[in-house]
Order: sequence, then C-alpha cells, then structure tokens
Amino acid sequence: MKNMSVELCGVKLKSPLIAASGTFGFGREYDEFYNISAWGAISVKGLTDEPRVGNPPPRIAETASGILNSVGLQNPGVDAFIRDELPRLVATGVTVIANVAGSTVESYTEAARKLSDSPVAMIELNISCPNVRQGGAQFGASPEEAARVTSAVRGVCSRPLMVKLSPNVTDITAIARAVQDAGADAVSLINTVAGMAIDARARRPALANITGGLSGPAIKPVALRMVWQTAKCLRIPVAGMGGVMTGTDAAEFMIAGATAVMAGTANITDVMAGPRILRELEEFLDENGIEDVNELTGSLILN
Amino acid sequence: MPRDYSARLVFNECIAEDIVELCFELTEAEPWGSAPNPARGPSPLDPFYKKIKRVQGACSLPGFGAEPQGPNPGQFAHLAAPGVFLRRPVSIAGFRQDENIVRFIVGIAGEGTRNLAAKRPGETIKILLPLGNPFPSIPSGRNIWLVSGGLGVAPLLYLAKTLSGTARELRAFMGFSDERSVFGVEEMRELSEMTLDVGGFITDKVSGALASARPDAVFSCGPLPMMGALKKICAARGVPLYVSLEERMGCGVGACLVCACAARGAAGYKRVCRDGPVFDAEEVVIS
Ligand SMILES: Cc1cc2nc3c(=O)[nH]c(=O)nc-3n(C[C@H](O)[C@H](O)[C@H](O)COP(=O)(O)OP(=O)(O)OC[C@H]3O[C@@H](n4cnc5c(N)ncnc54)[C@H](O)[C@@H]3O)c2cc1C
Ligand SMILES: Cc1cc2nc3c(=O)[nH]c(=O)nc-3n(C[C@H](O)[C@H](O)[C@H](O)COP(=O)(O)O)c2cc1C
Ligand code: FES
Repeated sequence: MKNMSVELCGVKLKSPLIAASGTFGFGREYDEFYNISAWGAISVKGLTDEPRVGNPPPRIAETASGILNSVGLQNPGVDAFIRDELPRLVATGVTVIANVAGSTVESYTEAARKLSDSPVAMIELNISCPNVRQGGAQFGASPEEAARVTSAVRGVCSRPLMVKLSPNVTDITAIARAVQDAGADAVSLINTVAGMAIDARARRPALANITGGLSGPAIKPVALRMVWQTAKCLRIPVAGMGGVMTGTDAAEFMIAGATAVMAGTANITDVMAGPRILRELEEFLDENGIEDVNELTGSLILN
Repeated sequence: MPRDYSARLVFNECIAEDIVELCFELTEAEPWGSAPNPARGPSPLDPFYKKIKRVQGACSLPGFGAEPQGPNPGQFAHLAAPGVFLRRPVSIAGFRQDENIVRFIVGIAGEGTRNLAAKRPGETIKILLPLGNPFPSIPSGRNIWLVSGGLGVAPLLYLAKTLSGTARELRAFMGFSDERSVFGVEEMRELSEMTLDVGGFITDKVSGALASARPDAVFSCGPLPMMGALKKICAARGVPLYVSLEERMGCGVGACLVCACAARGAAGYKRVCRDGPVFDAEEVVIS
C-alpha cells in the first residue's frame, strides 16, 4: 500500500496536496463537485479581523499561461467565518488552514487569537498580499518586519503557524530565516508575483487596481527556484506553490524540497483540479515505483 | 448541479457578421464528478449524472425548448476555448433534453471566441454547466416583456421559448447596432410580439410602449448603457426589471471572487457568476 500522507508541522495530512488560499473560497462551491476532503487540507480565503469589501472590478486579467488578480482580500471577517463557515467545513472532514491577513500587528494578533480557539488545524500568516496597501505585504518585504509580526502572532497562537512568503523581495531566504527564528513552524511560498496588464487600445490598465498578482504556470519556474533555495536553508518544512496544474508539477515542488504542495489557479481553470492532481500524483508514484510520497521531498539530484 | 462535461460540437453556423451559433452534445461528465460525496450522499437534483447516449449527425435547429430539469434560461456555461488559459462564459441559448444538446450564440470578440468559432463538428471541448441563477420563474398568465441589445438576445431566445406557452402576453424588443449584426429575428417573431430596432435606441421603443401598457416584469440582457437606461424607465413606472450582467470571470462557480459587481447601498460586491448573472435591477449598480 502506497503512502500518500505527510506531516506538516505536527499536523497529519492525508495527502501533500493543499488548496491554495483565495482560489477555493470556504470550500462551499467545490463541495458540489466532489468530496473536498480529498485534499490534504484547504487554506481558506484570506481572513482579516474586520470584514473587507475588496477592490473594484475588473479584478482579473488573462495573461500568457496565467492570470493577474486584484481581489484585495474581500472576506466577511474572522468572526463571521468562525460562526458561518467553519462548522460546515469541519463537518466535511477536511483539514482547515486559516489564512490570515492584516494591516497592523494588532489586527493580525486579534484574528489569530480568535482562530486559536476555533477548530482550525493551522494558521497561515499571509504577509504577502500584493493587492491591498493594507494587506500585510509591508510585513513580508523586510526580515525585521516579518519577524516582528510572526513573533507577535506566535505569542497568542496555540495552533501551528505557517508564514506565507512573498516572491516580491530581493532575497526570500532572508525573510524565511527571519520568520523561522521568530517562531514559525513552517513557511508557504510563493504568493503571487506583482504584475500589470495594459489594454493598449484603450491605453488603460486592465485591472481597476492598476497592478495585480500573477499566478498560474507563468510563475512556476520562479516558484520552484524559490522553494528550492528556501528549503535548503531552513529547519522547518516548506509548502510550495506557484503554477501547480498537474501531478507532475506537484512532484517537482516536492523534489525541490517541499513537504506539501498547494494548488490555486488550477482550481480556477479546472473545477475538478483537486482530485485530478491527486490522482496524477498517485500515478506518478506508481510509474516511478515510489512507495511513500515523502521520498520525493528534497530528492533533487544535482550531479 | 453543474458538472464539467465533455462536449462534442455538432453544429456550427455563421448567423450574422462575426456571430456563430454553436451546438454541443454533452457526452460525459468528468468521472470524478460522478463519485458520490459520502458526506452529502448522491444528489437527486443532478439530471446529468448518467452517462449520456451519443446522437448521430447534426441537430436540427428548431425544437430548442426549456426542459423541466435542464439548464434554465439565464444560466450560463464556462467553455474551455482552445489556445487560451481561462474559460469563456457564454449564456445558454437553448437546450434539448432528449438529445443533451446545448446551444450557444457566440460573438467573435477576441482569441478565445475566435478559436471556439473555428471548431469543426465532431471536435470536443470541456464545458462546465449550468452555472449561475436563471431568470426568475414567473407564474403563467402574466404579461412579460423582453428587452435585448445585440448579442444579449441569446439568453432571451431561450427564455422566450419557455415563456411563449405560459405568458398571457410576451413582447420582445430587440435592438441591434447595425444590419450586419442582426440575428434571431424570425425565431423571436414566432415566439412573441416582436419590435425590432436597428441603429437606434431600443429603450425609446420600450418607453413608448410603456406609455400605454404595463407588463408584470421586464427581463433584459445587453450593453450596460442600455440596461442602465432601462432601469430608469422601469423604475419610473414601477415595473420589476431583471437584468443579466457580464463581468470578467475566473472560476465561474463562486469561489475566487474576481467577478465582482457593485451591490446597491453599502452591501459591497456581489459575484456575477454565483449571485447572478441575473439580478433584480434594484439590487445592483448598473454603470
Ligand atoms: C454570464 C455571461 C454570459 C455571456 N454570454 C455570452 C453569449 O451568450 N454570447 C457571447 O458572444 N458572449 C457572451 N458573453 C461574453 C463572452 O464571455 C466574451 O465575449 C468572451 O469571454 C470574450 O473572449 P475572447 O477571448 O474572445 O476575448 P478577449 O477580449 O481576448 O478575452 C480576454 C479576457 O477577457 C474576458 N472577457 C472579454 N470580454 C468579456 C465580456 N464581455 N464578459 C466577460 N468576460 C469578458 C475573457 O473571458 C477573457 O478572460 C458572456 C459573458 C458573461 C459574463
Ligand atoms: C484569485 C486569487 C485570490 C487569492 N487570494 C489569496 C489570499 O486571500 N491569501 C493568500 O495568501 N493568497 C491568495 N492568493 C495566492 C494563492 O494562494 C497562491 O499563492 C498563488 O496564486 C500562486 O499559486 P497558483 O499559481 O497555484 O495559483 C490568491 C490567488 C488568486 C489567483
Ligand atoms: S468567477 Fe470566481 S467567483 Fe465568480
């Protein structure tokens, strides 16, 4: 019997595949298509302490092999999530990761404190949303600020803490080391790559927010490189993402050093992406005579 | 319940300049999709679980009707057009339950729709449907008006088909910007009392008609300026108006929040794909 389960900072996941935040809502919609507990876990849409309405439309632009989005953390707030969404989500049997964003250290700690008392399995601290000025990216851009918000949340949070890193920095490993030292139990990367699209005929930006975050296959090489560099220099595990569309993509991230893999944009282009990628990853293991998916992690051959 | 289908193109015909009518036979739902969800059990609502028999040859166009279980008028589908990354949302313009054939009317607007129009009968694409909320169902014996601009008539042709037997009076106001883009006129004329306008403002015809008659509801799909003007006209006469809106989409199922349209008052944004695409005109900002 093949082993598909992994352990991510003390949380046992039935597979290494996690739905990436912001592409899976609170699981409600995809639950109509398949049993969402097929995922190892799902990371819910980014939550803030107070509700947020998000950015004006258009919020999406298609690019070569990817999309730019500028949703801007639209969410009902942590309290409404815990009250209206979490009980149903937990009842499906899926492991829930709460993705948390904020504008001040206090707004992060307040949200994390409330979630610590809820049945979420883990908190993913989003210090990397490129789409709102008050979205936490200011914390993700410097090692000192990243460490400051991580240790503050660590102090109030009884759940395992994963910090989601931005690729829009000069040296992602410096940020990763800083959050590890500040008490993070894992890191996830990468969030979207800051980008822009222009409608030449109208001479206007394609997104109302002017800039947005790039995701999908277009960013996969950037993501793989960053996962590889980061995993090499950390003690804590890495959840890798960026353009994972197939089971082989997921295997590549694990080989680069990831313990778990997230898929985001894949859900947007293929409503059945979760179970499909999982099936493909199992097929990949079969074809390559691998008994335990954990064998892939960090198995890159360099000579 | 929506499902992702393999769909075989059975009909492709140009019906106006840069406008094609495409009919697809839904063959098989994604196999994972039919796996029952133990947490929820099999869904009796799902008319599409079964594998569907294949039909031979092209469909004949007449006979697209509303089917009790099928996708309803106002709902849309998400088509995986070749050569582009995202799916393309297109209104369902007809459905034949007996043969599982779904009809679309597609205007060539860019690469995705151009590649769709270039598909040949026999070729297969993925289509996710039915998505979104349909036009509200109306008790029989009412007076209903349909108002369209350009391609917006596509979902209204399907709606007219379902209402023609049950409405007391069905009137359609069809506006087109020029002669070359006119289509669906004969079909609509058979189903309703039809007013055509080419090159002018269809809303002028509607306000003229409203001077001497008052429908129970107006259903509309078309360019935003047209629907904005219609909202004012209907509000002034106290006539309920339902509009079908468009916005750029990602997932099409309500999860990614990119298809935002402004809700009235302080209610933030609604999702066009899930809360719409058909809205009570009073609920949304049309601009
Ligand atoms: C609910 C709904 C129903 C629709 N029904 C029909 C229909 O029945 N017939 C029809 O011809 N068209 C319909 N449209 C518009 C159709 O989706 C666009 O014309 C099409 O996506 C354009 O794709 P493209 O690649 O040819 O153009 P491009 O401009 O190259 O597309 C670039 C991107 O913008 C998006 N986009 C461009 N125009 C629109 C638009 N008007 N609305 C939403 N997204 C857009 C595309 O999906 C794509 O992601 C509908 C749109 C919506 C939202
Ligand atoms: C529409 C959309 C919304 C997103 N919202 C969030 C969010 O709320 N919080 C977050 O941490 N990441 C968010 N992301 C980033 C994804 O979780 C992921 O990091 C990124 O898209 C790269 O992975 P992918 O290429 O598989 O999509 C969002 C991405 C998309 C496309
Ligand atoms: S397109 Fe994803 S929520 Fe509407």
